[in-house]
Amino acid sequence: MPIAFKDVSHVYSAGTPYEYRALDHVDLEIQEGKMTAVVGQTGSGKSTLVQHLNALLLPTEGTVYILDRTIDANKKPKQLKSLRGDVGLVFQFPEYQLFEETVLKDTAFGPKNFGCTVEEAEKRAKQALQLTGIGPEYYERSPLELSGGQKRRVAIAGILAMDPRVLVLDEPTAGLDPAGTASMMKLFRRLNQELHKTVLIVTHDMEQVYRYCDEVIVVHDGKIRHQESSAEFFKDAHLCNEMGVLPPSLIRLEEMMREFGFAVPQGIVTEEQLAQWIAQEVKNHG
Amino acid sequence: MGSIALGRYIPLDSVVHKMDPRAKIMAMLIVLIAVFFPSGWIGYAVLFAAASLMILLSKLSVGFIWRAMRPMLIMLVFLLVINALVVHTGPVLFSIGSFSVYLDAVLQTLYIAVRLLLMIMITTCLTATTKPLDMTLGIEDLLKPFEKIHVPAHEIAMLISIALRFIPDLIDETQRIMKAQESRGVDLQEGKLKEKIQAILSLIVPLFVSAFQRAEDLANAMEARGYMPGEPRTRYKVLKMAGRDYILLACALITAVGIGVLAWAV
Ligand SMILES: Nc1ncnc2c1ncn2[C@@H]1O[C@H](COP(=O)(O)OP(=O)(O)O)[C@@H](O)[C@H]1O
Ligand SMILES: [Mg+2]
Repeated sequence: MPIAFKDVSHVYSAGTPYEYRALDHVDLEIQEGKMTAVVGQTGSGKSTLVQHLNALLLPTEGTVYILDRTIDANKKPKQLKSLRGDVGLVFQFPEYQLFEETVLKDTAFGPKNFGCTVEEAEKRAKQALQLTGIGPEYYERSPLELSGGQKRRVAIAGILAMDPRVLVLDEPTAGLDPAGTASMMKLFRRLNQELHKTVLIVTHDMEQVYRYCDEVIVVHDGKIRHQESSAEFFKDAHLCNEMGVLPPSLIRLEEMMREFGFAVPQGIVTEEQLAQWIAQEVKNHG
Repeated sequence: MGSIALGRYIPLDSVVHKMDPRAKIMAMLIVLIAVFFPSGWIGYAVLFAAASLMILLSKLSVGFIWRAMRPMLIMLVFLLVINALVVHTGPVLFSIGSFSVYLDAVLQTLYIAVRLLLMIMITTCLTATTKPLDMTLGIEDLLKPFEKIHVPAHEIAMLISIALRFIPDLIDETQRIMKAQESRGVDLQEGKLKEKIQAILSLIVPLFVSAFQRAEDLANAMEARGYMPGEPRTRYKVLKMAGRDYILLACALITAVGIGVLAWAV
């Protein structure tokens, strides 16, 4: 069963002068097993949208279907805890959620809450920490002493240790250096491809979306503006331009070459392919 | 969090909103003192009329005052129970078995309830119509004369305004951390005592860490821009008393003196 939103709206502070409609009649389907990017300007409603996936926010109108559960506006939701174990949500700047004395304890906190024994939880925590690249030498350190990037890794490991079926990440690479960003994105892609987790990732970085994601959802003003496969979305630069974001550098290069009169064919999606095509052209026109 | 009414600023366009915060603070203090005079029911009726007039002028709704008052109700019920147990004067109102409730118990509770209502109405007239920053400017100016006896007026005002400035941020931060921990399976409603303690720890530790972080960032940002406590500073916003502010003060004084005379005469 895929994840689906049917006519979902979310209104903050309803009935006060501060009332704000952050989601406006959203219809959406997300396939299981895919890696999907949620993009859109700041304030467009991305975080509001993803917080519906583990029922941290409940729809004020409409219905959310997720992993055989139905969350209806006007109905008191049940089985919230088991849903939160199945849908792991990593918040924006998750390093602010660390609180235990040691890295290992903090990472094991999630699985323990979901009923694992201490041994089982620590075993899972160690696996998760290994995935995110935090070595055993850090297990007994206080999470508060780590660098910003390391804290982020520990926090993400804390969610991975819960072994969720769906992994939702709200701007997980914001503020990381390029190398950190790349290794983080590779990890999410690995979780998606090798462990078959459904991954949903909110990001502003088109380069990463282009490189790693299967699907793109564009949120604009609380509505879904586009939902397309990544290949379709990045066929040319016009959708990126329409959104006011910089297209991936490869797309920009192709567009520029076309402007200068090169007949770059559609469907070139990696640097190697483009280099090969250029080499071929140079040889042909020798 | 959107339902807290007590002490909240409500952006409306009214005469009271435009008044000088110093005049409003002074007037509030004067009338609050009058509430404590034992002036009997007539005095309270006068004060109630005065406070109602101010609320009307500030365009606040009755519902808002009611919501500000509501948290006090539990306390009043509690008080009524205690009074019923302790006070044994006046005529008997009714009896349940050998236990009787006396009229004075009810009257005394009512007395306190009326005073509480008056105090909330009067303070709300100030807090709902004055922006927190204007309030601190007003406090700073009113404390100025006390600098002679080494009251750090400016520092106190700065402390208050920084504290006020961070309340919404800390509320946001608390909600964010709560959500983050709920995503990790923390259940803030249910669970055994040990789990509850863990749940609260998982909120408090990150909250303190981030509050200290913010404080440090702010201190650095202020120092970087040349802020030195105790140095003379000019002000972006200069407060000025207008005719209506003097009228407010005069009315407050007249009310208080009138109530005082009434209390003395009774
Ligand atoms: N708790 C809240 N109360 C009121 N308004 C909110 C709250 N959270 C977010 N909003 C508003 O909802 C809109 C969407 O916010 P958000 O989902 O965080 O956007 P994004 O993640 O795309 O930047 C914003 O305009 C924001 O101000
Ligand atoms: Mg966001």
